[in-house]
Amino acid sequence: MLIILLFSASLLSLRSAGAAESNRDASAVPVVHPNDADSMRIQGEQRFRANCGRCHAAPHKFPPRMMATVVRHMRVRATITAEDQRLILFYMTQ
Amino acid sequence: MPSVLAVAQSDPARPVPILSGSLGNFSFVTGGHNLLDSQVNPVLLVPLGDRWLIESRAEFEGQFQRPANGGPYGGPVNKHVDYAQIDYIANPYLTVTVGRFLTPFGIFNERLYPVWIRALEPDPLILPINTAPSDGAMFRGGFRANRAANMNYAFYLSTTSIGSGSVDSERHVGGRLGFFFPGPRLEVGGSWQRTLQDDRRNAFGFHMGWQPAKIPLNLRSEFARSFEGSGYWMEGSYRLSQSHLWQKQMRRTEVVARAQQFYVGSIGANQEASFGLPDVNMREADFGVNYFFRDGLKGIASYGRQFSAQGNFNQWSFGLAYRFLIPLGRVGSPREAQ
Repeated sequence: MLIILLFSASLLSLRSAGAAESNRDASAVPVVHPNDADSMRIQGEQRFRANCGRCHAAPHKFPPRMMATVVRHMRVRATITAEDQRLILFYMTQ
Repeated sequence: MPSVLAVAQSDPARPVPILSGSLGNFSFVTGGHNLLDSQVNPVLLVPLGDRWLIESRAEFEGQFQRPANGGPYGGPVNKHVDYAQIDYIANPYLTVTVGRFLTPFGIFNERLYPVWIRALEPDPLILPINTAPSDGAMFRGGFRANRAANMNYAFYLSTTSIGSGSVDSERHVGGRLGFFFPGPRLEVGGSWQRTLQDDRRNAFGFHMGWQPAKIPLNLRSEFARSFEGSGYWMEGSYRLSQSHLWQKQMRRTEVVARAQQFYVGSIGANQEASFGLPDVNMREADFGVNYFFRDGLKGIASYGRQFSAQGNFNQWSFGLAYRFLIPLGRVGSPREAQ
């Protein structure tokens, strides 16, 4: 019990750093260079095949707002990383 | 790369609530006795803001058999909530979950259980070991440990757990730690659980998964040991997409094989059934074929042979599994995300 509380406290202490990182990224100007978009698609596909393929066959692409929910669900369920979540969402909404 | 992530994080697609889930209709023939199994497993996903997610899954399962003296099929319809939880994504390393959640012991219960995902419809023999839903709090997350590996973890505290008889309760703590190596697509990990009452028993398990990049092969395995029993399963599934013969049909076809073994635990044979476990030591081998008609719809067929001191039995299964996904709000076109 004590170990869990100490562990959660130490992880929660990372929240400020994580939130600051998220805010900084969210406020960044979304300038998409063709090379960046291509790179993201390629990486997104790689992350998709490596992560999602561990459990199930590739689904069809759904509208972006649905994919955003599905990928958030999988972030929690399959404990995929935040970076994988973003790249997979980008790939699945192209 | 930073600009790439910045673009991805500023994706304008706002998540919409979804009703998802699966439907399944199966026929299981064990030792000559036919069991018709129809089930609906709705999953509700409600995202709130940027960091919250409410999710729940219920199960409605009817298992119908013909009475020994003849007559129409009949049987119970079981209804229960598998999980109803609130998730808060605190930061890239931590997600906090409260409510009823699937116990993260091994990988089958959390990730492979839905009928549209699992490669073989019959449950692994060891599935009931430490996988009853937990009620409490859980801390989990996944992050990059180094250039070669991602680490994932889950620690939880459960105050009440409803057993297979729906009358049992207990307090326990547990956790799961895993490493995923994206290069070789190899995943390994272990699980642990300790009850906080009575004899304060420990249980542990190991899991692995491997999907080689060059061939459409998926290998998975789990081992579990607890007071209730112990055992393992090993499963391989191979998509016939590399076949040159009847390519259109073959790329939709998957062949599966599973070997498993179960050993009765310290609770004794008389108590095993109350946990949904076999009451004798058992071995089983299964072979199956899945055909994916289209995204979310597959037909299944499998044959298995069970070996135990109670006798050896054939197990056949046939059926259809379907996954649905319904938005509960306005959704944009794919171009909105660009």
